[in-house]
Amino acid sequence: MVKNITIFTTNTCAYCAMVKRWLDAKGHNYEVVNLDTNPERQAEALALSGALTVPVTVVTKHDDSKEVVIGFNLAKLAPALV
Amino acid sequence: MGEPTAGQAPVHDVIMVGAGPASLAAAIYTTREDIETLVIEKGAVGGMAAITDWVDNYPGFPKGIAGLEYAENLRAQAERFGAKIDYGEVTDIRDEGKYKRVKTAEGELLAKVVLIATGTDYKKLGIPGEQEYYAHGVHYCATCDGAFYRDKRLVVVGGGNSAVQESIFLTRFASHIDLLVRSDKMRASEVLQRELRDKHADKVTIHFNTTTDEIVGQDGKVVRVTGTDTTNGQKVDFPTDGVFVFVGLKPNTEFLKTTSVELDEVGLVKTNERLETSMPGVFAAGDVRSGATMQIASATGEGATAALRIREYLDEHARQHEN
Repeated sequence: MVKNITIFTTNTCAYCAMVKRWLDAKGHNYEVVNLDTNPERQAEALALSGALTVPVTVVTKHDDSKEVVIGFNLAKLAPALV
Repeated sequence: MGEPTAGQAPVHDVIMVGAGPASLAAAIYTTREDIETLVIEKGAVGGMAAITDWVDNYPGFPKGIAGLEYAENLRAQAERFGAKIDYGEVTDIRDEGKYKRVKTAEGELLAKVVLIATGTDYKKLGIPGEQEYYAHGVHYCATCDGAFYRDKRLVVVGGGNSAVQESIFLTRFASHIDLLVRSDKMRASEVLQRELRDKHADKVTIHFNTTTDEIVGQDGKVVRVTGTDTTNGQKVDFPTDGVFVFVGLKPNTEFLKTTSVELDEVGLVKTNERLETSMPGVFAAGDVRSGATMQIASATGEGATAALRIREYLDEHARQHEN
């Protein structure tokens, strides 16, 4: 079960918009961390994903385990939300 | 959906493969005429336009428009008339006469007409270090990943419009950019070259006649790019924190290679003047089409043309199959 969802994004990232739109369509709420306006949180995104890219979607489960999905990758994102 | 099912697969009037400017323009036209249309996209809606920082030459936008905003406008306009956009990857198209069978990772669909508008994607360099450091210092999308390089040094590879446009975008973040151009001049438009020279010369150093040979890392990070100065054969070294690669485009037609849709020598889809491919009932438009000019304005124009041809085809299809 999903406890919360956080998406690391930037203003210009098309794939970020795709992730948000897909989550909207599925009725999920999520927190957005915009790295253009919060550059101090880049290190957090990097530590979670291990990659210098956005979007990074972090799905936190009720047992506080996390699944991290890089990019607009529905093959990984959809199962992470079950 | 045009009809409920034929056998087990859902039937659509039109399936458009790819959701870039060509197919979204086509979808605006088809759905506005009540032709049921499903658009299938595996990546970003808006295609390459969506990941472009700024679109300056699309007619009707005197101040230009952000690529992402333009893509969102296209999507909203197509959806307003009833186009349905699904996420998925088409893996095969088969001609079964009355219908085309469209295979995706999720299952199979049938369509009276298919429009191929899968566009192109950035080519890889194919050099040591490129794959190893992908997303860890090697990138193909400046608007996605540029923000990670605030006050860092970058190398950009390429001499075309994308390389120059994205170099200009990356100057927002980077402390310095080495732009490596293989030949002795750039292919980018003179307008872009002038903007680079006049407004960003303090941050961007252009290295002509320079090949990019290897991306070198240390402790999991990119630290430098090595190349060759082709005027004298000397090795050259560029210390950097990251590399952005824009060295041309390759057509997204891998899924067509085992179909009867004919491709040209570089893998673009061959069409006649009506935008029909070699498979009856399958059309192609936009950057993926052999002879395309790789412009957003051309792609949307081709999309509109394809939609009108599709309507004619569907009229004939109805006469043949529904009487």
